[in-house]
Amino acid sequence: MHVEYPKPRWTDKFLLLDMLEGLKTTFRELFKPKVTIRYPEERMEPANRFRGMFRFSFDRCIACKLCALACPIDIIYIDVHDEQREVDGKMKKLKVLDRYDIDVKRCMFCSLCEEACPTKPKSIWLTTKTYELATYDRSDLYFNMQQLEYWEGRPEYAGLPPDEPEPKQIEGGMP
Amino acid sequence: MTQDLLMRYLIWPLVKFLVAFIVVQVIVAAMNWIERRLLGLMQARLGPNRVGREFGIPWGLAQIVADPIKFILKEDIVPSSAETVAYFLGPMLPLIPAFLVFCLIPYGPPPTFVVTHINVGLLLILALTSTGVYGIILGGWASNNKYSLMGGLRSAAQMVSYEVPFGLSIVGVLMLCGSFDLVRIINYQADHVWNLFPQLIAAFIFLVAMNAENNRTPFDLPEAESELVAGYHTEYSAMKFAFFMLAEYSSMTVNCCLMVSLFFGGWTMAINGYGLTTGVLRGWGIYGGILGAVIFISKVMLFMLMYIWFRATFPRFRFDQLMELGWKWMIPLALANIAVTGIVVLLGQELNFQGEVVLSIAGAAIIAFTLYLLLRPRAKVTHARRVSEA
Amino acid sequence: MFDVHEMEVNFGPQHPSTHGVLRVLLRIDGERIIDAKPIIGYLHRGTEKLFENMSYPMCIPHTDRMDYVASATNNLGFVETVEKLMGITKQIPKRAQLMRVMLSELQRISSHLLWLATHAIDIGAMTPFFYCFREREQVLDLFEEYCGARLTLNCMRIGGMPDDLPPGWLDGVEKFVDKFEDAVDEYESLLTNNRIWKKRTVGIGVITPEDAIDWGITGPPLRGSGVEWDLRRAQPYECYPELKFEIPIGKNGDTYDRYLVRMEEMRQSNWILKQCIPLVKATPAGDIKAKISRVVRPPEGEVYHSIESPKGELGYYIVSDGKSQSAYRCHVRPPSFVNLQALPAMAKGHLVSDLVALIGTIDIVLGEVDR
Repeated sequence: MHVEYPKPRWTDKFLLLDMLEGLKTTFRELFKPKVTIRYPEERMEPANRFRGMFRFSFDRCIACKLCALACPIDIIYIDVHDEQREVDGKMKKLKVLDRYDIDVKRCMFCSLCEEACPTKPKSIWLTTKTYELATYDRSDLYFNMQQLEYWEGRPEYAGLPPDEPEPKQIEGGMP
Repeated sequence: MTQDLLMRYLIWPLVKFLVAFIVVQVIVAAMNWIERRLLGLMQARLGPNRVGREFGIPWGLAQIVADPIKFILKEDIVPSSAETVAYFLGPMLPLIPAFLVFCLIPYGPPPTFVVTHINVGLLLILALTSTGVYGIILGGWASNNKYSLMGGLRSAAQMVSYEVPFGLSIVGVLMLCGSFDLVRIINYQADHVWNLFPQLIAAFIFLVAMNAENNRTPFDLPEAESELVAGYHTEYSAMKFAFFMLAEYSSMTVNCCLMVSLFFGGWTMAINGYGLTTGVLRGWGIYGGILGAVIFISKVMLFMLMYIWFRATFPRFRFDQLMELGWKWMIPLALANIAVTGIVVLLGQELNFQGEVVLSIAGAAIIAFTLYLLLRPRAKVTHARRVSEA
Repeated sequence: MFDVHEMEVNFGPQHPSTHGVLRVLLRIDGERIIDAKPIIGYLHRGTEKLFENMSYPMCIPHTDRMDYVASATNNLGFVETVEKLMGITKQIPKRAQLMRVMLSELQRISSHLLWLATHAIDIGAMTPFFYCFREREQVLDLFEEYCGARLTLNCMRIGGMPDDLPPGWLDGVEKFVDKFEDAVDEYESLLTNNRIWKKRTVGIGVITPEDAIDWGITGPPLRGSGVEWDLRRAQPYECYPELKFEIPIGKNGDTYDRYLVRMEEMRQSNWILKQCIPLVKATPAGDIKAKISRVVRPPEGEVYHSIESPKGELGYYIVSDGKSQSAYRCHVRPPSFVNLQALPAMAKGHLVSDLVALIGTIDIVLGEVDR
């Protein structure tokens, strides 16, 4: 279909109605509500699935290294060693997590690591609704295991508690 | 005797000029904040709203104080290859006529509120505002920057070529009012009707020429940052840049005052002699004078707001389209206006009817028709009609 | 007598209106442009080389960043190409297809809104910029509710979608779709009939249909010149054959026509969204991924597949050697790179002030041009 070329009438051309229409639109806009959010007094609340800062849970992690494999930029550094531990009366070989560091400077928050994690609920998650990560020193952005879990000194949003099951409800379909 | 002369011709005008100067500078300083705030509100956002918050000043009004402080405290960088004398003269030259013209504009009923009552006041105002071009050319050339020179020349060409419609559009008003004296023109409008109605086309041309003179959108090509050049004031920093801005805003105020005096009745609110004419205002003594001055300033502020409204709405003209508009459309239109006004007035004198009344009725009819076409409720053109046929 | 003084000027890499780091080497005579040569490469990040070292699912966030304005269509192109290579195009469930189409059309609206905002502010009209971003904010909020990010979405996976729709998303889309037509009418009232806008855009940058086909231009510049070619109709993918929409084409091939074409495309995308909402509600919930293994290892072969992104034909050419988890070679055919070829011919004879309008009208994104 061809686009519609507007056909101006002679009144539009001589009485400048096209320009006056524009003036009318701008004038009407004066009385509509404004969309500015005055940060930091007002803060924009992200959605539930917003991919923010990481949180890690040492207890749930099984040290499978799938997240490090899935990361496109290889910024998850994991060191694991095997140990013989007593579990239920038998000596079992367990993997113990030595180091779990993430270099957040280079992260692109794509959440492929969260998708790759096999535990339920996940051991690394990004739905923490936190996006204020700015620091004054570059080395502050290299998070080790403790910082990822406890987030000391960082502003925290209550976020989704780690014990809740997957909050991704589905909608809009036939059951 | 000498003291009386001294009082009447030196000290009293000086005092009046200072008062007028201070009032206009307050307007200019406030315009900085008003422009940013109003532009923001028209664009669905807030303008500056944060500056004075800690001190309890709402709405970012402290911006008015913060900006001049910033300009004064900023480092003044002078390019080493700039031509020194012209570089320093550049910002000052537009300021001088802009300030001088404040003496010539009547702010209220004479004799208190008119600084100097010259009977060729209008001619002198036109001549003085035309000399504002020199500063731009000097500023652009002295910066030793190819792009500043280009921007300065463009701006100068634009200002010079819109001086002609600026002057020609006033001739119609002069034919009706019969004098160059602004006070007489305002009194004429109080006795008859605002010059907007008989001289509608002249008012429109004056509006367009006013926008072009002050380098405001839609004619703000010299100030546009998205073009190759950044304008004649690229190489100026701190206070010199502030002078250019001051000159521009002062010139805007002066032009708005002219528009109000010539076409919208000045300080009077009267039609055909009924209402607040000069006589009535003078009869109320000093209070009448102040009321007149307040009316004048309010009308001027309305026009300054209209500048901002235009800036928010229109795209910009390209330079050759700008020049074409000025030379090929505005000047013939102004000349046609002079011809039509002259013919109607002459016929009126010969055939014994009031020529001005005919012109006023024509102007009022055109304005009413335009407003009707603009504001009538129209059926919404739904594109769903077109697409649902598929 | 009148000798031409040619000046060679850089319309530099850093400039407010080149939409990224584009450098145009201009040869001008006064104000007239004699030659304009775009010089690119300032944003080259080696994306195609990166693709050779990463497995297919890891590549998807990287495709986001090529055309960062319209990332859902980038994802869609890549994912569809890999599915075509693996031969599972028919197995994508209906719900996933509909979700993909809805995200693409939302992305088309968002990209065109950004185009209008920057084009208008380059020509001098400041207010459409803010109005368009206000609407774009609503679209980005919808994206955020679905996949968690606003700009670099990473919202599609090979074989389907990562997640199902959150509760309230379809209502949000419906609310947006109801109000969007009025918003487009508002932008049109400011610009379409405005005589200053028409003076700046009518007759500027004319591309004849034959030239457009010769240079390989696709997307709104091609349709503005009068050629009726849209990949959603010519080589349909996903569930576009079932949806009703029309393809706007222009007549003269100038900037005004391309503007009108894109405004109409926004309305058509709005219509597509309206049709998709009840269709999605009729599909079973949760059925969003085809049954493929988690490790993506396509068979040996090569494939080229293209989709209609907001800027034109976005094509991916993938060569796979059947053994590894990453592509042997992945080449991207970006629409902006090919459309940019038209700039020297369009700009010849116009003024420098028109160059800004021209760069805006072919709608380039440097992330895509340089990859």
